[in-house]
Amino acid sequence: MASHAPQAGEGPRWEVFKQDALGKPHQAVGSVHAGDAEHALLMARSVYTRRPAAVSLWVAPAEAVFAVTAEQLADDDRWSVEDGGQERRFLVFRKTSHRRSMTFVDHVGEVTAAGPRAAVAAARQAFPEPPALAWWVVPADRLSASPDAEAEAWFDPAGDKTYKQQSAYGLLAPKKRDRSKGGDR
Amino acid sequence: MAEPVAEEQERLDAFEARIANGEKIEPGDWMPQAYRKQLVRMISQHAHSEVVGMLPEGAWITRAPSLRRKLILIAKVQDEAGHGQYLYHAAETLGVTRDELIDALLTGRAKYSSVFNYPTLTWADVGMIGWLVDGAAIKNQLMLAQCSYGPYSRAMVRICAEETFHHKQGKEMVLTYAQGTASQRTMAQSALDRWWWPSLMMLGPHDSDSPNTPQLVRWGIKTKTNDQVRQEFVDEHAPELMDAGLSLPDPALRFDPSSGHWMHGPIDWDEFWSVVKGHGPVNAERLAARRRAFDDGRWVREAMAAYAARRQQAA
Repeated sequence: MASHAPQAGEGPRWEVFKQDALGKPHQAVGSVHAGDAEHALLMARSVYTRRPAAVSLWVAPAEAVFAVTAEQLADDDRWSVEDGGQERRFLVFRKTSHRRSMTFVDHVGEVTAAGPRAAVAAARQAFPEPPALAWWVVPADRLSASPDAEAEAWFDPAGDKTYKQQSAYGLLAPKKRDRSKGGDR
Repeated sequence: MAEPVAEEQERLDAFEARIANGEKIEPGDWMPQAYRKQLVRMISQHAHSEVVGMLPEGAWITRAPSLRRKLILIAKVQDEAGHGQYLYHAAETLGVTRDELIDALLTGRAKYSSVFNYPTLTWADVGMIGWLVDGAAIKNQLMLAQCSYGPYSRAMVRICAEETFHHKQGKEMVLTYAQGTASQRTMAQSALDRWWWPSLMMLGPHDSDSPNTPQLVRWGIKTKTNDQVRQEFVDEHAPELMDAGLSLPDPALRFDPSSGHWMHGPIDWDEFWSVVKGHGPVNAERLAARRRAFDDGRWVREAMAAYAARRQQAA
């Protein structure tokens, strides 16, 4: 059978971080495929902010995200091995709970380190509590953000589309009623 | 050679203990090959189902009877596209690529939900799909929201929150028609006659024909069996449909006071397997529509790639 193996495929994968309200952390919600950061942000808006609430999106190329779980850290006795390279800023994200959730790691702050492994080591020192189940570190210069000045235009329209909210339908219980009237709203 | 086997067993024991303890398994954590394989199979089928699921209802967008119904339907179909994206993302955390997954769908190697291989003959089908098909999907997805694999569980939690709107808009529509004019009532009844059995079938084969289920339950991928989820669906929907003044196309359906459950009659599994194997009413049409969409979008993907490459060069 002929393969549809794409000549121009879906493009690289970008991790998406969504902030629900000012003062709350950006949280990893999933990923999109896009040609560049600008395209990735637009894809992220369509896929992850169809409903309120959002005030900001970040995207980073998936290959720039260094991820490690508590289990991997416990397994790896050579964890202290340093990456070589220039000191740079890393944004730090972590997951601390097994509770039911629609988001993964939360942004907690940043560290300066020579590489991603060193950044995780620095993050464990800087943010020891509560114990993390998973860490992500992302070089700050690989992250792109939705334009703050246009936040209203990006995110407010979702709030007006109340017909997408289940609350718009109330409690629907079948009732025997007068059947002589037809129609639909 | 005894040592690696013992080590493997130790790993497996620790893995199963984590699941028994209610912990989520995350990308990067150790997992048995069979766990990874089952998840890729289930999540990718689920993703394909969301994507193909846009087609039966999408066909009615241009013919919605009011602006309100049209806005609702557009939002619903857009949600299904988004749900496909959440799920492809979850599958990709297990080491498969988006391009591989889409290729498997377009070449007919991948499966998707049997229910989308039935045609939508009237506008009432749109409402009945919302109430029944999305109703069945929610029962399954609420169960999968408890899944031991973090990315799948999170996708399900997000989907369930949105899918409840799909269920309610369909139910509202069918209740309106069931209480409407004679022709509206006929249209609603005919839609129920056609969608009831496919909705029961979409929850999968009987437990006795579902050999993977015990392992899937043990590893917390599923937390209920197909028959358990199907029973929940029937218990909620059968009495509500009857209260709405509609009759169910199952002469054997009855309430069993001793168990407190609604018991349905025998399911036509020959029909189910025939649809799964590609011989449903519109299997070929669905796949052709997806291929056409992929081919029609090729120039867009090429343009995006060229634009990205040029920007990178300029930088």
